[in-house]
Amino acid sequence: MTETSERISPPAFRPIRPETRVMASLAVIAMSTSLSAEHWPAQAALGVLVFVALTIARVPADWILRRLAVFLPALVLLTISFPAMHGFRTGWDLMFTILFRATVSFLALLWLTRVLAFDAFLSVLLRWRVPGVLVAMLAFMHRYLFVLWDELDRMRTAWRAREFGHGRTAGRSIAAARLIGMLVVRGLTRAERVHLAMLARGWDGTVRRIDNLPDDDATLSTSQTVTS
Amino acid sequence: MHIFDGVLSPPVCAITGAISCAAVTFSLRRLKASYSDRMVPLTGMMAAIVFAGQMVNVPVFGTMASGHLMGGVLAAAIVGPHAGCLALALVLTVQCVVLRDGGLMSLGANVLHMGVVGSLGGYAVFSAVRRCFADDLRGVVVGAVLASWVSVMAAACLFCVEFQLSGHGRNYDLSAILTLMVSVHSAIGIGEALLTGAALAFIQQQRPDLIYHAQGHQTPAASVSRIVLAGVVCALAVAAFIAPFRSPRPDGLETVAKQTGFDRLESAANVLIPADSPVSTPFADRQKSGSWQRVAVGLAGAGGTAAVLVLAGLLGRSLRPDPLVAEADHD
Repeated sequence: MTETSERISPPAFRPIRPETRVMASLAVIAMSTSLSAEHWPAQAALGVLVFVALTIARVPADWILRRLAVFLPALVLLTISFPAMHGFRTGWDLMFTILFRATVSFLALLWLTRVLAFDAFLSVLLRWRVPGVLVAMLAFMHRYLFVLWDELDRMRTAWRAREFGHGRTAGRSIAAARLIGMLVVRGLTRAERVHLAMLARGWDGTVRRIDNLPDDDATLSTSQTVTS
Repeated sequence: MHIFDGVLSPPVCAITGAISCAAVTFSLRRLKASYSDRMVPLTGMMAAIVFAGQMVNVPVFGTMASGHLMGGVLAAAIVGPHAGCLALALVLTVQCVVLRDGGLMSLGANVLHMGVVGSLGGYAVFSAVRRCFADDLRGVVVGAVLASWVSVMAAACLFCVEFQLSGHGRNYDLSAILTLMVSVHSAIGIGEALLTGAALAFIQQQRPDLIYHAQGHQTPAASVSRIVLAGVVCALAVAAFIAPFRSPRPDGLETVAKQTGFDRLESAANVLIPADSPVSTPFADRQKSGSWQRVAVGLAGAGGTAAVLVLAGLLGRSLRPDPLVAEADHD
């Protein structure tokens, strides 16, 4: 996840404005979801377009395949229910239409996350008049996600060390719930400390941003202001 | 629980997106008034907690699969319904943009299911149930368990309606999809309910000050009337929107009647309005196919529920002791 958030966009797409990249991705997803099964040549053309875009962005094939391996089984599980409802006699067309649409949309989103850093996405949101407070919350969340992630990792290691892998289902569920409870207590205690630190640095609830930074090079000033 | 792009049609995505946008804007305004400068760190951190909490997988009873927390009710119970709704919207946005979990066009639908229904709707159930208990720990746990289960089921039903509106329902019976979704999500809902209940029980024992308390004291009478009102609204909604999609198959009694043959007695005894009578009754042609059939059944369901509620109210009023007589008895 750190790798995804800190990646700098590939040189081939740097001249294209971040807004255009988001709009292009949205347009492909919208077109893909609007086309019916009869328009399969257009669907195939969209698939080829996304494939070419991923190739230009130099996205490694194994990186895509690893993500598809997580995404596709969940989607197949959902869509297999349509033929299953009809005793596997009909419903295959709907299943494959949804599978193809969703895969093209997923790859378009994959391309977007590869060519647009998260902070650049936040600055696009600000330029699109999304409330600054909401963007600041997103930046704050993204910043502290990694901190809590590490915290959770330590707690899980401690849990595994005490459980020796022999816990029963009920015991594991209760332990997981307590883990989440402890995460809430520690996270909110940290939020109180961070809030006091922000107040000490002059935070008054107003979100400020520095406009003269290039989109792809610098992290969003909102996140720097809020969380530094 | 995340909907991928391609499952719902663009118009449905647009409508759900507009509803979610309105709910997020409303939550943001309410939050600005109550939290001011604490809003960013509190909501941002809660979103990060829910995100990290969703990574804790627990085994699902009786299966090889594992599930995780969704966190709508948990967030609402800790930071309030509006901050909870915002936190879930942030979580879903980051999951979509960073982890590609859930579609970009379906983001509105996902926020509607997990943020709006999960946090705003879930908190309404949570607070209503919590007020029924004098013991705070018991109220929090029972409220969280019920609210979590109800919110998961409500989100599953909402998805079925959206799926039908997306045009896929032309070839598929909504009642079949509804049955499938409800049966699968009732198990998922139990997992969500147990996780949320146990996590909130732990927090209530360790740091009870972290549990959200709504501002403004309410008298027990006011809270009871609110619960009654919520119940009436739920009953009417179920009758109006779920009744049209009832299963066409006969119920248990009808099946037994057909098997034993006593269904013939019913048709013989039904002489008040014979089948070939020119007199028509309201909603008499509800068995006929047509686009108005479901509207008619929905209206019939809502009308019947309303009539029962009015009768119950009249009965309750007639049984209430006369204040003058009661005062005289007391003297």
